[in-house]
Amino acid sequence: MNLLECINLCKSYGNKEVLKDINLTIPKGKIIGLLGKNGTGKTTLIKLINDLLTPSSGKILVNGKEIGCESKKIISYLPERTYLDKSMTIDKVIKYFEDFYDNFNSNKAKKLLIDLDLDLSQKISKMSKGMQEKLQLVLVMSREADLYILDEPLGGVDPATRDYILDTILTNFKDGASVIISTHLISDIERILDEVIFIDKGRIMLQSDCDELRNKENSSIDEVFRRMFKC
Amino acid sequence: MLKKLLKYDLKSMFKGLFIFYSLSLFFGVLTRIFFSIEASFIMNIIAKVCSGVSISMIFNILINNLMRLWGRFKQNLYGDESYLTHTLPVDKKTLYLSKILTAIITLFVSIIVISLTLFIAYYSKENIEIIKTILLPVADAYNSTIIKILFAILFVFFLEFANILQSGYTGIIIGHRKNNNKTGFSVLFGFVVYMITQIISLLMIFITGLFNSDIMNLFFTNEIININMIKVIIYIAIIIYTISLFVIYFVNLKLFKKGVNVD
Repeated sequence: MNLLECINLCKSYGNKEVLKDINLTIPKGKIIGLLGKNGTGKTTLIKLINDLLTPSSGKILVNGKEIGCESKKIISYLPERTYLDKSMTIDKVIKYFEDFYDNFNSNKAKKLLIDLDLDLSQKISKMSKGMQEKLQLVLVMSREADLYILDEPLGGVDPATRDYILDTILTNFKDGASVIISTHLISDIERILDEVIFIDKGRIMLQSDCDELRNKENSSIDEVFRRMFKC
Repeated sequence: MLKKLLKYDLKSMFKGLFIFYSLSLFFGVLTRIFFSIEASFIMNIIAKVCSGVSISMIFNILINNLMRLWGRFKQNLYGDESYLTHTLPVDKKTLYLSKILTAIITLFVSIIVISLTLFIAYYSKENIEIIKTILLPVADAYNSTIIKILFAILFVFFLEFANILQSGYTGIIIGHRKNNNKTGFSVLFGFVVYMITQIISLLMIFITGLFNSDIMNLFFTNEIININMIKVIIYIAIIIYTISLFVIYFVNLKLFKKGVNVD
């Protein structure tokens, strides 16, 4: 059984169709790049999978079941914005995650945060935006989830932070889990991907194994993407 | 999961309200102290200022409570925090129920604090006599006691606020189904829902008036409201508000369960 399946998925805002007839399957144990230019529907697709948007038509199945409590137990989602209650302290947020997610490893989270030199009694509102994003990444990667969905984790960060983010992702996801990383910074993540999905104008243009694609096109994924979506 | 959600919702609400509760009680105590000190011109002015502040704190608690509940509902279910709320392994019904229970508990506590402030600031034999004089005819009409009537009035007051609050929630839910100007539509729909419940209440009173001439006089004459009218109106208010609370709760839940569209 596929971990995630989108069947004839469409999303419109009024007359504007943002996603058109998306058919997609995500297998277990793969790192998948959801690649596309800005505003092509990557975040909309991710928000639909996470129950933050309601599909106009079509279905999303996680382990064969529709989105609901069970799917949320096994999906760990990192949105592109900061979503934590800023009046909370870091240790209160850790307690919050511990309370709601059975698969949250608080010791792992604390260790990763201490490695970042963060004081656990610090209020989130006192942290820089960059630090808040790192905190969110740590919280998300400290869950023993079956599917990690990371929306633009590399957006707007310096190269050193990018390395930290990629390293945190690679060293902390659960064995056998799948990771979906949405980005337009392909060259930075190409080396860690098993599969890619190209999305453009709300449609899936390509889903392929990375090695197969590289061999077929005789070039890097970044180059294939640039050629395919040349303005 | 409901317990856990409730814990965080209540903590967040009371954190803000606690300041106003403390201030209200503090000024209630000050009012009492300054009114009890031997009358002098200065003391009298200070006592009146404290009394004014106590009263404004009471209004502040009510308005603050409502605004905070709406604000948390919006931020938690449609704002940035919704990215976490909707990805918790909790069903939509539990999410909504937690908000409603939080509203009921905070409104209840607010009404207790308000009553306590009023008691601390203004309790005296003379004031009790005034209240007795006003409420005794009503209590007699109900064949009840003044205390019970006071509780009935507080209950109607509580239901009215709960009704305003839920209408606001409906407004936010419907407003956030729109693609643009969500806040504007939220306010508009909230107001419309509240007005509908008020019109239905009025309609029910009018229908009752068809069988009760005292009530019908309310619509067609300038007669002063008499005890019989008040008695029937309180009964109708309790019934209508209770029904509308449940109806709006189920409508909101149905709309909410259909899914959200977070920006």
